[in-house]
Amino acid sequence: MKRSQLPSARAAALLSLALAGTAFAQTAPLKVWTRSNGPAQDTYLAIGKAYQAKTGQAVEFTFAFSDFEQRLARAIASGDLPDVVVNDTAQLGNLLGLGVLAQVDRNKVAGNKDIVDRAWKSAQGLDGKYYGVPSSTQVFELFIRKDWRTKLRLPLPRTWEDVTRMAQAFTTKDPDGNGKNDTYGFIIPGSTTRGYASWFVSSFIWQAGGDFVQPAANGTFKATLDTPQVATALKYVRSFICNKTAQPNAINAVTADATPGFYTGQAGMYFTGPYNIGLFDKELGKDKYDVVAFPKGPANADALAEGENSYIMKASKQPQNALAFAAFLASPEGQKIGMTFNQDGQVIRLPINRKVDAAAVRGGDARWKTVQALYNKSGHAVPNVPNWAPIRALTGDGFNRILARCDSNVEQELSALNTQLKAELTTQKVLAK
Amino acid sequence: MTTARRRAARETLVAWAFLLPALLAFAYFKFLPMLKGIQFSFYKVNFGGENTWVGWNNFRTVLGDPAFRLAIWHTVVNGIAVAVISAAIALVVALALQGGTRSVHFVRSAIFLPAVTSVAIVAEIFKLLYYPSAQGPLNMLLGYVGIAPQPFFSSPDTALASLIGMQVWKAVPYDTAIFIAGLATINRDLYDAANVDGASPWQRFMNVTLPGLAPTLTIILTLAIIRGFRVFTEVYTTTGGGPGGATDVVMTRIYKLGFETFDYGLASAASTLMFIVTAVLTSLYLLRTWKKT
Repeated sequence: MKRSQLPSARAAALLSLALAGTAFAQTAPLKVWTRSNGPAQDTYLAIGKAYQAKTGQAVEFTFAFSDFEQRLARAIASGDLPDVVVNDTAQLGNLLGLGVLAQVDRNKVAGNKDIVDRAWKSAQGLDGKYYGVPSSTQVFELFIRKDWRTKLRLPLPRTWEDVTRMAQAFTTKDPDGNGKNDTYGFIIPGSTTRGYASWFVSSFIWQAGGDFVQPAANGTFKATLDTPQVATALKYVRSFICNKTAQPNAINAVTADATPGFYTGQAGMYFTGPYNIGLFDKELGKDKYDVVAFPKGPANADALAEGENSYIMKASKQPQNALAFAAFLASPEGQKIGMTFNQDGQVIRLPINRKVDAAAVRGGDARWKTVQALYNKSGHAVPNVPNWAPIRALTGDGFNRILARCDSNVEQELSALNTQLKAELTTQKVLAK
Repeated sequence: MTTARRRAARETLVAWAFLLPALLAFAYFKFLPMLKGIQFSFYKVNFGGENTWVGWNNFRTVLGDPAFRLAIWHTVVNGIAVAVISAAIALVVALALQGGTRSVHFVRSAIFLPAVTSVAIVAEIFKLLYYPSAQGPLNMLLGYVGIAPQPFFSSPDTALASLIGMQVWKAVPYDTAIFIAGLATINRDLYDAANVDGASPWQRFMNVTLPGLAPTLTIILTLAIIRGFRVFTEVYTTTGGGPGGATDVVMTRIYKLGFETFDYGLASAASTLMFIVTAVLTSLYLLRTWKKT
């Protein structure tokens, strides 16, 4: 909401204060930052309006997308932070380390019992205390061009090898029928930027039975990148690049480069989050693609589960109101607006509120049933180390290096990377002896 | 004090008064943050609480990091290659475009366009041109002369060279403009004298043009190398430092430390090192020009 609406917001706030005698003594607008692009911004504005209608307090949003972290860093450095920052769960350690987060008393959050435990866990620091209120969760699934698959008479993939074969077919058998050799099998965002390579490869590591780190005694961790399982995962992902069944610029692609590749017909498979469903419905059409679990790997079918929290800033002058907004976003009303207001700007993907059903709210959309079931069964969050961001950056560089050279020795590279990971765990004071 | 001296003093004062607003703005927006940055270099920065003094540790970590040392090497190679190659091409272009006919005027304006195009746009265009399959525009051209499709940005072996190519394309027009100005300052009589002596075009170039352009060449190379050390947008918008760290430069490392892992202490230490290098280079250049005058 803009500043021009301030007077009416003030009036409304005063009115509600006078009428109900309730606690909103602070009437300055609540400042909220979110990492969202165009359509998602509209959704947040609608949430802000609903919140204002309920409480009388206006919400002043600041939106940024590709340079969100940069702006946040600037705000942190200049001590000019908002009241609430809605951001990735994986940023918890990072923000905690910078000392900008206020602790949240879980019991004081309105409707806290309706928020699922698993989501609460992702707002929890290593000390067991809570530093945010969950707002949304999601899990990676495999998107496949159904029309291409049907044309080539291919069944849905059931194994890793099936995906390899399907990628091969999409690359060589002209699935779009334009007579040109211009299609590819599998889209990979393999860039080092923002640690995309690490983010993308993580699910495959878990599916192969490996992990970045293993918890050890007393809250410490062992670095486990030098295992055969992790090597299997990287060799699998690299095979798409080296067989030339991944899109040509995969190694430098960030998601903004990669995502259009799926709906413009560059490639037929994409492993990504459900936030793309709305976009693909609009750009490609509902009937043109499947949403399925990535087929089981050597060990399991685990897929990267992420989410977002509303982080309350320590420096906020109205922490009560900030918490009230976070609770509203997590309430059935806030969740529903976030899921339905804007088809291609769904800021709530899977609800974290047990009173809300992901598929029912979206008119019984079966694909969201798949996503919810997948999250419950195979959702796998990044390890609960004090600060994941430096590890994601480190492994993002390392995995990108491995994926970039088809002749590199994966085991050797991983062993070197594991040494670097140990150094990082030492810096975070959690390396197992 | 004599009247003349008093007037001179007053003029100096007036000059400073005119400079003052800009100086204040610079002090607040540039110099203070710089000093703050140097201060951060010695701390583990924690914005919500107390910063922890770590002495020279941040500098040791930065210089001890193999990825950082590699990035320094890439920065040097990139800076020198872009400076030298674009100056060489620009000199040839400038020689072709000197003079004052109408068509030349048009071409001169037209070729200056890359210099005023935003780096982000140039990067997007080159990502398309360099598309690493047979369908890529540049690969199509190469295909006509029987060369297999090149990976350009997608291979660690060709990424840095491709990046240098992109920057050369953008830098040549700028250098050309300076060379054309430089060529105009060479005394025509010297050419006439050389002609009378029966000098060949090559001899004229070597003995008249090149010595006459020496000051221009120094300016172009020094400025380009200093600019080259701060290269960032060109890399960030194309390869992000990849693939496999092949195009990682000092600024992309600093960006990652500062904005991806939020380690302000380390990022500041790296920036301080960078500041020292550019300050030394700039001072050497200024000293040289100052001595000459």
